[in-house]
Amino acid sequence: MALPAILTQLTLAAEEGEKETSNFLIPNGTFFVELGAFALLFYLLARYVIPPINKAMEARQDAIRAEFEEVEAAKQQASSAEEEYKTQLADARKEANRLREGAREEGAQIVAELREQGEAEKARIVESAHAQIAAERQQALASLRAEVGSLATTLAGRIVGESLEDDERSARVVDRFLSDLESFEVAKAQDGVG
Amino acid sequence: MTLRNIRLGALVVAIGSLAVGIVMTLTEDHHEKAEITIGEHTTRTAGGLTFNIDTIISTLVAGALVLLLGFLARRALTKDADDHVPTKLQLIWEAIVGQVNKQVEDNLGKVHPYAAPLAISLFFFILFCNWLEILPTELNHDTHLLPAPTADTNLTYALALVTIVSVWVYGIRTKGAKGYFKHFFEPFPVMFPLNLLEELIKPVTLALRLFGNIFAGGIMLALITLMPIYILWAPNLLWKGFDAAIGVIQAFIFALLTVLYFAMAGAGHGDDHGGHGDEVADLDDHVGDDEAASAERTPVPAS
Repeated sequence: MALPAILTQLTLAAEEGEKETSNFLIPNGTFFVELGAFALLFYLLARYVIPPINKAMEARQDAIRAEFEEVEAAKQQASSAEEEYKTQLADARKEANRLREGAREEGAQIVAELREQGEAEKARIVESAHAQIAAERQQALASLRAEVGSLATTLAGRIVGESLEDDERSARVVDRFLSDLESFEVAKAQDGVG
Repeated sequence: MTLRNIRLGALVVAIGSLAVGIVMTLTEDHHEKAEITIGEHTTRTAGGLTFNIDTIISTLVAGALVLLLGFLARRALTKDADDHVPTKLQLIWEAIVGQVNKQVEDNLGKVHPYAAPLAISLFFFILFCNWLEILPTELNHDTHLLPAPTADTNLTYALALVTIVSVWVYGIRTKGAKGYFKHFFEPFPVMFPLNLLEELIKPVTLALRLFGNIFAGGIMLALITLMPIYILWAPNLLWKGFDAAIGVIQAFIFALLTVLYFAMAGAGHGDDHGGHGDEVADLDDHVGDDEAASAERTPVPAS
Protein backbone atom coordinates (compact mmCIF):
# COMPACT_ATOMS: atom_id res chain seq x y z
CA MET A 1 0.00 0.00 0.00
CA ALA A 2 2.86 2.28 0.90
CA LEU A 3 4.88 1.53 -2.17
CA PRO A 4 2.35 2.64 -4.81
CA ALA A 5 1.79 5.78 -2.83
CA ILE A 6 5.48 6.60 -2.82
CA LEU A 7 5.72 5.78 -6.51
CA THR A 8 2.86 8.09 -7.43
CA GLN A 9 4.34 10.80 -5.28
CA LEU A 10 7.69 10.38 -7.02
CA THR A 11 5.98 10.44 -10.38
CA LEU A 12 4.15 13.61 -9.46
CA ALA A 13 7.33 15.19 -8.21
CA ALA A 14 9.05 14.26 -11.41
CA GLU A 15 6.27 15.64 -13.54
CA GLU A 16 6.21 18.89 -11.64
CA GLY A 17 9.52 20.06 -13.08
CA GLU A 18 10.46 18.88 -16.54
CA LYS A 19 14.05 19.77 -15.75
CA GLU A 20 15.02 18.00 -12.62
CA THR A 21 18.34 18.06 -10.88
CA SER A 22 19.15 14.83 -9.15
CA ASN A 23 22.29 13.15 -7.93
CA PHE A 24 24.04 12.33 -11.13
CA LEU A 25 25.81 9.32 -9.63
CA ILE A 26 22.55 7.49 -8.98
CA PRO A 27 21.24 5.66 -12.04
CA ASN A 28 17.58 5.94 -12.97
CA GLY A 29 15.36 4.29 -15.56
CA THR A 30 17.66 5.40 -18.33
CA PHE A 31 19.98 2.67 -17.16
CA PHE A 32 17.71 -0.04 -18.52
CA VAL A 33 17.23 1.75 -21.81
CA GLU A 34 20.99 2.07 -22.18
CA LEU A 35 21.44 -1.57 -21.26
CA GLY A 36 18.95 -2.63 -23.91
CA ALA A 37 20.37 -0.24 -26.48
CA PHE A 38 23.90 -1.48 -26.01
CA ALA A 39 22.79 -5.11 -25.93
CA LEU A 40 21.01 -4.58 -29.24
CA LEU A 41 24.01 -2.79 -30.73
CA PHE A 42 26.34 -5.51 -29.50
CA TYR A 43 24.12 -8.23 -30.90
CA LEU A 44 23.84 -6.57 -34.31
CA LEU A 45 27.55 -5.85 -34.57
CA ALA A 46 28.62 -9.27 -33.34
CA ARG A 47 26.10 -11.02 -35.54
CA TYR A 48 26.16 -9.09 -38.78
CA VAL A 49 29.15 -6.77 -38.94
CA ILE A 50 32.20 -8.25 -37.24
CA PRO A 51 32.14 -11.82 -38.65
CA PRO A 52 32.17 -10.67 -42.30
CA ILE A 53 34.97 -8.23 -41.49
CA ASN A 54 36.96 -11.00 -39.87
CA LYS A 55 36.23 -13.24 -42.80
CA ALA A 56 37.28 -10.59 -45.30
CA MET A 57 40.48 -9.94 -43.38
CA GLU A 58 41.28 -13.62 -43.25
CA ALA A 59 40.44 -14.00 -46.91
CA ARG A 60 42.75 -11.16 -47.80
CA GLN A 61 45.49 -12.53 -45.59
CA ASP A 62 45.05 -15.92 -47.20
CA ALA A 63 45.12 -14.34 -50.64
CA ILE A 64 48.31 -12.47 -49.85
CA ARG A 65 49.86 -15.57 -48.34
CA ALA A 66 48.88 -17.61 -51.38
CA GLU A 67 50.27 -14.94 -53.66
CA PHE A 68 53.57 -14.96 -51.85
CA GLU A 69 53.68 -18.73 -51.98
CA GLU A 70 53.01 -18.54 -55.68
CA VAL A 71 55.78 -16.03 -56.13
CA GLU A 72 58.10 -18.23 -54.11
CA ALA A 73 57.14 -21.26 -56.19
CA ALA A 74 57.65 -19.32 -59.39
CA LYS A 75 61.02 -18.16 -58.16
CA GLN A 76 62.03 -21.70 -57.34
CA GLN A 77 60.77 -22.91 -60.67
CA ALA A 78 62.72 -20.21 -62.42
CA SER A 79 65.86 -21.02 -60.52
CA SER A 80 65.46 -24.73 -61.18
CA ALA A 81 64.87 -23.96 -64.86
CA GLU A 82 68.00 -21.85 -64.86
CA GLU A 83 69.87 -24.68 -63.20
CA GLU A 84 68.61 -27.07 -65.81
CA TYR A 85 69.51 -24.66 -68.56
CA LYS A 86 72.98 -24.29 -67.13
CA THR A 87 73.55 -28.03 -66.87
CA GLN A 88 72.23 -28.49 -70.39
CA LEU A 89 74.52 -25.79 -71.61
CA ALA A 90 77.46 -27.41 -69.85
CA ASP A 91 76.48 -30.79 -71.31
CA ALA A 92 76.24 -29.29 -74.76
CA ARG A 93 79.63 -27.68 -74.35
CA LYS A 94 81.12 -30.94 -73.19
CA GLU A 95 79.51 -32.77 -76.08
CA ALA A 96 80.79 -30.19 -78.53
CA ASN A 97 84.25 -30.49 -77.06
CA ARG A 98 84.09 -34.24 -77.28
CA LEU A 99 82.94 -34.07 -80.89
CA ARG A 100 85.64 -31.58 -81.76
CA GLU A 101 88.27 -33.71 -80.08
CA GLY A 102 87.01 -36.80 -81.90
CA ALA A 103 86.97 -34.98 -85.21
CA ARG A 104 90.49 -33.77 -84.61
CA GLU A 105 91.68 -37.24 -83.77
CA GLU A 106 89.90 -38.68 -86.72
CA GLY A 107 91.38 -36.00 -88.96
CA ALA A 108 94.83 -36.68 -87.62
CA GLN A 109 94.33 -40.37 -88.16
CA ILE A 110 93.12 -39.79 -91.70
CA VAL A 111 96.08 -37.55 -92.39
CA ALA A 112 98.44 -40.12 -90.95
CA GLU A 113 96.84 -42.87 -92.96
CA LEU A 114 96.99 -40.82 -96.09
CA ARG A 115 100.54 -39.91 -95.38
CA GLU A 116 101.42 -43.53 -94.88
CA GLN A 117 99.59 -44.42 -98.03
CA GLY A 118 101.40 -41.63 -99.83
CA GLU A 119 104.70 -42.81 -98.48
CA ALA A 120 103.98 -46.30 -99.66
CA GLU A 121 102.89 -45.03 -103.04
CA LYS A 122 105.95 -42.90 -103.28
CA ALA A 123 108.17 -45.80 -102.33
CA ARG A 124 106.41 -47.97 -104.84
CA ILE A 125 106.73 -45.38 -107.57
CA VAL A 126 110.36 -44.76 -106.73
CA GLU A 127 110.97 -48.47 -106.64
CA SER A 128 109.33 -49.01 -109.96
CA ALA A 129 111.17 -46.01 -111.38
CA HIS A 130 114.41 -47.42 -110.11
CA ALA A 131 113.66 -50.75 -111.58
CA GLN A 132 112.68 -49.17 -114.87
CA ILE A 133 115.79 -47.06 -114.88
CA ALA A 134 117.92 -50.05 -114.08
CA ALA A 135 116.25 -52.02 -116.81
CA GLU A 136 116.61 -49.22 -119.28
CA ARG A 137 120.18 -48.75 -118.24
CA GLN A 138 120.79 -52.42 -118.68
CA GLN A 139 119.07 -52.29 -122.03
CA ALA A 140 121.04 -49.22 -123.01
CA LEU A 141 124.21 -50.86 -121.81
CA ALA A 142 123.50 -53.98 -123.84
CA SER A 143 122.60 -52.00 -126.95
CA LEU A 144 125.58 -49.76 -126.40
CA ARG A 145 127.81 -52.70 -125.94
CA ALA A 146 126.52 -54.23 -129.17
CA GLU A 147 126.49 -51.08 -131.22
CA VAL A 148 129.61 -49.44 -129.81
CA GLY A 149 131.53 -52.64 -130.48
CA SER A 150 130.42 -52.84 -134.05
CA LEU A 151 130.84 -49.15 -134.60
CA ALA A 152 134.23 -49.07 -133.02
CA THR A 153 135.42 -52.11 -134.93
CA THR A 154 134.06 -50.69 -138.12
CA LEU A 155 135.77 -47.38 -137.31
CA ALA A 156 139.01 -49.02 -136.28
CA GLY A 157 138.88 -51.39 -139.27
CA ARG A 158 138.44 -48.42 -141.50
CA ILE A 159 141.34 -46.60 -139.80
CA VAL A 160 143.73 -49.52 -139.75
CA GLY A 161 142.36 -50.87 -142.97
CA GLU A 162 142.18 -54.23 -141.50
CA SER A 163 139.02 -55.97 -141.02
CA LEU A 164 138.21 -56.52 -137.57
CA GLU A 165 135.37 -58.69 -138.53
CA ASP A 166 136.64 -61.39 -136.27
CA ASP A 167 134.06 -61.40 -133.61
CA GLU A 168 136.15 -62.85 -130.90
CA ARG A 169 138.92 -60.36 -131.26
CA SER A 170 136.65 -57.36 -131.64
CA ALA A 171 134.72 -58.35 -128.63
CA ARG A 172 137.89 -58.57 -126.62
CA VAL A 173 138.98 -55.13 -127.78
CA VAL A 174 135.63 -53.56 -127.01
CA ASP A 175 135.54 -55.10 -123.61
CA ARG A 176 139.00 -53.84 -122.79
CA PHE A 177 137.98 -50.38 -123.98
CA LEU A 178 134.90 -50.35 -121.94
CA SER A 179 136.59 -51.53 -118.80
CA ASP A 180 139.24 -48.91 -119.31
CA LEU A 181 136.56 -46.37 -119.68
CA GLU A 182 134.90 -47.53 -116.51
CA SER A 183 138.07 -47.54 -114.52
CA PHE A 184 138.91 -44.12 -115.84
CA GLU A 185 135.54 -42.87 -114.76
CA VAL A 186 135.90 -44.40 -111.34
CA ALA A 187 139.34 -42.84 -110.95
CA LYS A 188 137.97 -39.51 -112.05
CA ALA A 189 135.17 -39.77 -109.56
CA GLN A 190 137.62 -40.68 -106.83
CA ASP A 191 139.79 -37.75 -107.78
CA GLY A 192 136.77 -35.53 -107.58
CA VAL A 193 135.93 -36.90 -104.15
CA GLY A 194 139.55 -36.82 -103.03
CA MET B 1 42.48 24.36 -51.61
CA THR B 2 46.02 25.09 -50.61
CA LEU B 3 47.41 25.54 -47.16
CA ARG B 4 47.88 29.23 -47.88
CA ASN B 5 44.18 29.64 -48.62
CA ILE B 6 43.22 27.87 -45.44
CA ARG B 7 45.49 30.10 -43.41
CA LEU B 8 44.08 33.17 -45.07
CA GLY B 9 40.52 32.00 -44.44
CA ALA B 10 41.28 31.29 -40.80
CA LEU B 11 42.74 34.73 -40.38
CA VAL B 12 39.69 36.38 -41.94
CA VAL B 13 37.33 34.36 -39.74
CA ALA B 14 39.34 35.22 -36.62
CA ILE B 15 39.42 38.93 -37.31
CA GLY B 16 35.76 38.94 -38.30
CA SER B 17 34.61 37.17 -35.16
CA LEU B 18 36.75 39.44 -33.07
CA ALA B 19 35.08 42.49 -34.65
CA VAL B 20 31.56 41.05 -34.33
CA GLY B 21 32.25 40.08 -30.71
CA ILE B 22 33.47 43.52 -29.79
CA VAL B 23 30.47 45.16 -31.47
CA MET B 24 28.05 42.78 -29.75
CA THR B 25 29.54 43.24 -26.28
CA LEU B 26 29.54 46.98 -26.71
CA THR B 27 25.96 47.23 -27.93
CA GLU B 28 24.27 44.61 -25.77
CA ASP B 29 23.44 44.83 -22.14
CA HIS B 30 25.52 42.70 -19.87
CA HIS B 31 23.13 39.88 -19.13
CA GLU B 32 23.53 37.61 -16.19
CA LYS B 33 25.92 34.73 -16.70
CA ALA B 34 24.09 31.46 -16.71
CA GLU B 35 24.90 29.22 -13.80
CA ILE B 36 26.52 25.92 -14.68
CA THR B 37 24.38 23.11 -13.45
CA ILE B 38 25.47 19.50 -13.43
CA GLY B 39 23.54 16.30 -13.72
CA GLU B 40 20.62 18.09 -15.28
CA HIS B 41 18.63 16.20 -17.87
CA THR B 42 15.40 16.50 -19.72
CA THR B 43 13.40 13.75 -18.12
CA ARG B 44 10.19 11.82 -18.67
CA THR B 45 8.65 9.51 -16.15
CA ALA B 46 6.94 6.26 -17.01
CA GLY B 47 5.96 3.40 -14.77
CA GLY B 48 7.69 4.88 -11.77
CA LEU B 49 11.00 5.17 -13.56
CA THR B 50 12.68 8.35 -14.67
CA PHE B 51 14.19 8.46 -18.13
CA ASN B 52 16.75 10.98 -19.29
CA ILE B 53 15.37 11.72 -22.71
CA ASP B 54 18.40 13.64 -23.97
CA THR B 55 20.74 10.80 -23.04
CA ILE B 56 18.48 8.26 -24.68
CA ILE B 57 18.20 10.29 -27.89
CA SER B 58 21.93 10.82 -28.15
CA THR B 59 22.52 7.14 -27.35
CA LEU B 60 20.24 6.23 -30.22
CA VAL B 61 22.03 8.65 -32.52
CA ALA B 62 25.45 7.27 -31.59
CA GLY B 63 24.25 3.69 -31.87
CA ALA B 64 22.62 4.41 -35.22
CA LEU B 65 25.85 5.97 -36.50
CA VAL B 66 27.89 2.97 -35.41
CA LEU B 67 25.41 0.57 -36.98
CA LEU B 68 25.25 2.64 -40.16
CA LEU B 69 29.02 2.62 -40.54
CA GLY B 70 29.16 -1.04 -39.60
CA PHE B 71 26.59 -2.08 -42.15
CA LEU B 72 28.13 0.16 -44.79
CA ALA B 73 31.43 -1.60 -44.18
CA ARG B 74 29.67 -4.95 -44.33
CA ARG B 75 28.05 -4.01 -47.62
CA ALA B 76 31.37 -2.79 -48.98
CA LEU B 77 33.11 -6.05 -48.23
CA THR B 78 30.35 -8.43 -49.26
CA LYS B 79 29.47 -6.55 -52.43
CA ASP B 80 32.35 -7.51 -54.67
CA ALA B 81 34.07 -10.76 -53.82
CA ASP B 82 36.54 -10.63 -56.68
CA ASP B 83 37.81 -7.17 -55.90
CA HIS B 84 40.41 -7.42 -53.16
CA VAL B 85 40.80 -3.66 -52.79
CA PRO B 86 39.07 -2.62 -49.54
CA THR B 87 37.21 0.65 -49.13
CA LYS B 88 38.44 3.24 -46.64
CA LEU B 89 35.57 2.59 -44.26
CA GLN B 90 36.32 -1.08 -44.42
CA LEU B 91 39.97 -0.37 -43.65
CA ILE B 92 39.02 1.62 -40.55
CA TRP B 93 36.85 -1.20 -39.28
CA GLU B 94 39.47 -3.74 -40.14
CA ALA B 95 42.15 -1.75 -38.34
CA ILE B 96 40.06 -1.62 -35.14
CA VAL B 97 38.85 -5.20 -35.41
CA GLY B 98 42.38 -6.38 -36.14
CA GLN B 99 43.84 -4.49 -33.19
CA VAL B 100 41.20 -5.74 -30.78
CA ASN B 101 41.54 -9.29 -32.08
CA LYS B 102 45.28 -9.08 -31.53
CA GLN B 103 44.78 -7.77 -27.99
CA VAL B 104 42.31 -10.52 -27.22
CA GLU B 105 44.58 -13.14 -28.72
CA ASP B 106 47.58 -11.89 -26.73
CA ASN B 107 45.67 -11.88 -23.48
CA LEU B 108 43.25 -14.77 -23.83
CA GLY B 109 45.32 -17.06 -26.02
CA LYS B 110 42.89 -16.92 -28.93
CA VAL B 111 40.33 -14.67 -30.55
CA HIS B 112 37.48 -15.36 -28.21
CA PRO B 113 34.16 -15.30 -30.10
CA TYR B 114 32.44 -13.30 -27.38
CA ALA B 115 35.13 -11.10 -25.82
CA ALA B 116 36.47 -9.73 -29.09
CA PRO B 117 33.13 -8.53 -30.50
CA LEU B 118 32.24 -7.11 -27.09
CA ALA B 119 35.43 -5.06 -26.95
CA ILE B 120 34.95 -3.90 -30.53
CA SER B 121 31.35 -2.88 -29.91
CA LEU B 122 32.33 -1.08 -26.72
CA PHE B 123 35.10 0.80 -28.48
CA PHE B 124 33.00 2.03 -31.38
CA PHE B 125 29.94 2.83 -29.31
CA ILE B 126 31.85 4.76 -26.65
CA LEU B 127 33.89 6.54 -29.31
CA PHE B 128 30.81 7.85 -31.08
CA CYS B 129 29.07 8.70 -27.83
CA ASN B 130 32.11 10.71 -26.76
CA TRP B 131 32.37 12.48 -30.08
CA LEU B 132 28.77 13.67 -29.93
CA GLU B 133 30.07 16.16 -27.36
CA ILE B 134 32.02 17.88 -30.11
CA LEU B 135 28.95 18.64 -32.20
CA PRO B 136 27.69 22.17 -31.40
CA THR B 137 24.09 21.13 -30.70
CA GLU B 138 23.61 23.21 -27.59
CA LEU B 139 21.00 25.70 -28.78
CA ASN B 140 21.05 27.61 -25.53
CA HIS B 141 22.04 26.76 -22.04
CA ASP B 142 18.85 24.79 -21.40
CA THR B 143 18.59 22.87 -24.61
CA HIS B 144 21.42 20.58 -25.52
CA LEU B 145 20.19 18.39 -28.34
CA LEU B 146 22.97 15.85 -28.32
CA PRO B 147 24.98 15.78 -25.11
CA ALA B 148 27.53 12.97 -24.92
CA PRO B 149 25.52 10.08 -23.49
CA THR B 150 28.71 8.86 -21.84
CA ALA B 151 28.49 11.95 -19.62
CA ASP B 152 25.54 10.24 -17.98
CA THR B 153 26.28 7.53 -15.43
CA ASN B 154 23.27 5.57 -16.62
CA LEU B 155 25.09 4.65 -19.82
CA THR B 156 28.45 3.98 -18.23
CA TYR B 157 26.92 1.85 -15.49
CA ALA B 158 25.08 -0.15 -18.12
CA LEU B 159 28.24 -0.76 -20.14
CA ALA B 160 30.21 -1.67 -17.03
CA LEU B 161 27.48 -4.09 -15.98
CA VAL B 162 27.50 -5.81 -19.36
CA THR B 163 31.28 -6.04 -19.20
CA ILE B 164 31.61 -7.33 -15.67
CA VAL B 165 28.82 -9.88 -15.96
CA SER B 166 30.39 -11.15 -19.19
CA VAL B 167 33.74 -11.39 -17.41
CA TRP B 168 32.27 -13.31 -14.51
CA VAL B 169 30.45 -15.70 -16.81
CA TYR B 170 33.60 -16.18 -18.83
CA GLY B 171 35.66 -16.83 -15.71
CA ILE B 172 33.22 -19.38 -14.34
CA ARG B 173 32.94 -21.13 -17.69
CA THR B 174 36.68 -21.21 -18.20
CA LYS B 175 37.75 -22.41 -14.77
CA GLY B 176 34.54 -23.92 -13.45
CA ALA B 177 32.58 -22.37 -10.59
CA LYS B 178 34.89 -23.91 -8.01
CA GLY B 179 38.05 -22.89 -9.75
CA TYR B 180 36.77 -19.39 -10.33
CA PHE B 181 35.65 -18.70 -6.77
CA LYS B 182 38.80 -20.28 -5.41
CA HIS B 183 40.86 -17.39 -6.71
CA PHE B 184 39.12 -15.07 -4.27
CA PHE B 185 40.96 -16.89 -1.50
CA GLU B 186 44.37 -16.67 -3.08
CA PRO B 187 47.12 -16.23 -2.27
CA PHE B 188 45.76 -16.34 1.33
CA PRO B 189 42.20 -16.79 2.55
CA VAL B 190 42.64 -13.58 4.55
CA MET B 191 42.72 -11.71 1.25
CA PHE B 192 39.11 -12.65 0.48
CA PRO B 193 37.56 -9.27 1.42
CA LEU B 194 40.13 -7.39 -0.64
CA ASN B 195 39.72 -9.70 -3.62
CA LEU B 196 35.97 -9.40 -3.43
CA LEU B 197 36.22 -5.63 -3.14
CA GLU B 198 38.52 -5.50 -6.14
CA GLU B 199 36.08 -7.51 -8.18
CA LEU B 200 33.20 -5.22 -7.20
CA ILE B 201 35.19 -2.04 -7.73
CA LYS B 202 36.18 -3.02 -11.25
CA PRO B 203 32.84 -2.12 -12.88
CA VAL B 204 32.49 1.01 -10.76
CA THR B 205 35.88 2.31 -11.84
CA LEU B 206 35.12 1.40 -15.45
CA ALA B 207 31.89 3.36 -15.35
CA LEU B 208 33.08 6.36 -13.36
CA ARG B 209 36.35 6.79 -15.25
CA LEU B 210 34.52 7.10 -18.53
CA PHE B 211 31.77 9.24 -17.08
CA GLY B 212 34.19 11.55 -15.27
CA ASN B 213 36.36 12.20 -18.29
CA ILE B 214 33.54 12.97 -20.67
CA PHE B 215 31.51 14.84 -18.10
CA ALA B 216 34.53 17.00 -17.29
CA GLY B 217 34.89 17.66 -21.00
CA GLY B 218 31.33 18.95 -21.06
CA ILE B 219 31.93 21.16 -18.03
CA MET B 220 35.01 22.57 -19.71
CA LEU B 221 32.92 23.44 -22.74
CA ALA B 222 30.33 25.11 -20.51
CA LEU B 223 33.05 27.12 -18.78
CA ILE B 224 34.48 28.15 -22.10
CA THR B 225 31.08 29.41 -23.23
CA LEU B 226 31.11 31.81 -20.28
CA MET B 227 34.01 33.60 -21.87
CA PRO B 228 33.43 36.72 -23.98
CA ILE B 229 32.35 35.73 -27.44
CA TYR B 230 35.27 37.37 -29.25
CA ILE B 231 37.78 35.17 -27.44
CA LEU B 232 35.59 32.11 -26.90
CA TRP B 233 36.27 30.47 -30.26
CA ALA B 234 39.97 29.90 -29.62
CA PRO B 235 39.83 27.81 -26.42
CA ASN B 236 36.66 26.21 -27.74
CA LEU B 237 38.47 25.01 -30.82
CA LEU B 238 41.47 23.83 -28.84
CA TRP B 239 39.38 22.09 -26.23
CA LYS B 240 37.20 20.30 -28.78
CA GLY B 241 40.29 19.00 -30.51
CA PHE B 242 41.62 17.81 -27.19
CA ASP B 243 38.23 16.40 -26.27
CA ALA B 244 38.20 14.35 -29.47
CA ALA B 245 41.50 12.78 -28.44
CA ILE B 246 40.15 12.13 -24.94
CA GLY B 247 37.13 10.47 -26.52
CA VAL B 248 39.39 8.06 -28.41
CA ILE B 249 41.57 7.38 -25.40
CA GLN B 250 38.62 6.70 -23.08
CA ALA B 251 36.99 4.37 -25.61
CA PHE B 252 40.31 2.57 -26.02
CA ILE B 253 40.84 2.28 -22.27
CA PHE B 254 37.36 0.89 -21.70
CA ALA B 255 37.80 -1.74 -24.42
CA LEU B 256 41.33 -2.62 -23.33
CA LEU B 257 40.33 -2.99 -19.67
CA THR B 258 37.45 -5.20 -20.74
CA VAL B 259 39.90 -7.49 -22.50
CA LEU B 260 42.27 -7.42 -19.53
CA TYR B 261 39.48 -8.29 -17.10
CA PHE B 262 38.59 -11.22 -19.32
CA ALA B 263 42.22 -12.29 -19.24
CA MET B 264 42.37 -11.99 -15.44
CA ALA B 265 39.18 -13.97 -14.99
CA GLY B 266 40.54 -16.68 -17.26
CA ALA B 267 44.09 -16.83 -15.95
CA GLY B 268 43.65 -16.54 -12.22
CA HIS B 269 44.51 -13.58 -10.04
CA GLY B 270 45.76 -10.50 -11.82
CA ASP B 271 49.16 -10.63 -10.12
CA ASP B 272 49.81 -14.09 -11.47
CA HIS B 273 49.11 -13.14 -15.02
CA GLY B 274 52.25 -13.22 -17.09
CA GLY B 275 54.40 -13.95 -14.02
CA HIS B 276 54.77 -17.65 -14.51
CA GLY B 277 55.04 -18.56 -18.13
CA ASP B 278 54.35 -22.25 -17.63
CA GLU B 279 51.28 -21.69 -15.56
CA VAL B 280 49.87 -19.24 -18.05
CA ALA B 281 50.60 -21.60 -20.90
CA ASP B 282 48.84 -24.41 -19.05
CA LEU B 283 45.87 -22.23 -18.36
CA ASP B 284 45.80 -21.11 -21.95
CA ASP B 285 45.68 -24.72 -23.04
CA HIS B 286 42.90 -25.27 -20.61
CA VAL B 287 41.06 -22.25 -22.00
CA GLY B 288 41.45 -23.61 -25.49
CA ASP B 289 39.98 -26.95 -24.49
CA ASP B 290 37.01 -25.44 -22.78
CA GLU B 291 36.22 -22.93 -25.48
CA ALA B 292 35.40 -25.60 -27.98
CA ALA B 293 32.55 -26.64 -25.73
CA SER B 294 31.50 -23.25 -24.46
CA ALA B 295 31.60 -21.49 -27.82
CA GLU B 296 28.35 -23.15 -28.76
CA ARG B 297 26.67 -21.86 -25.67
CA THR B 298 27.78 -18.26 -26.09
CA PRO B 299 24.82 -16.01 -26.72
CA VAL B 300 26.40 -14.49 -29.80
CA PRO B 301 27.46 -16.92 -32.45
CA ALA B 302 30.95 -16.54 -33.80
CA SER B 303 29.96 -16.46 -37.42
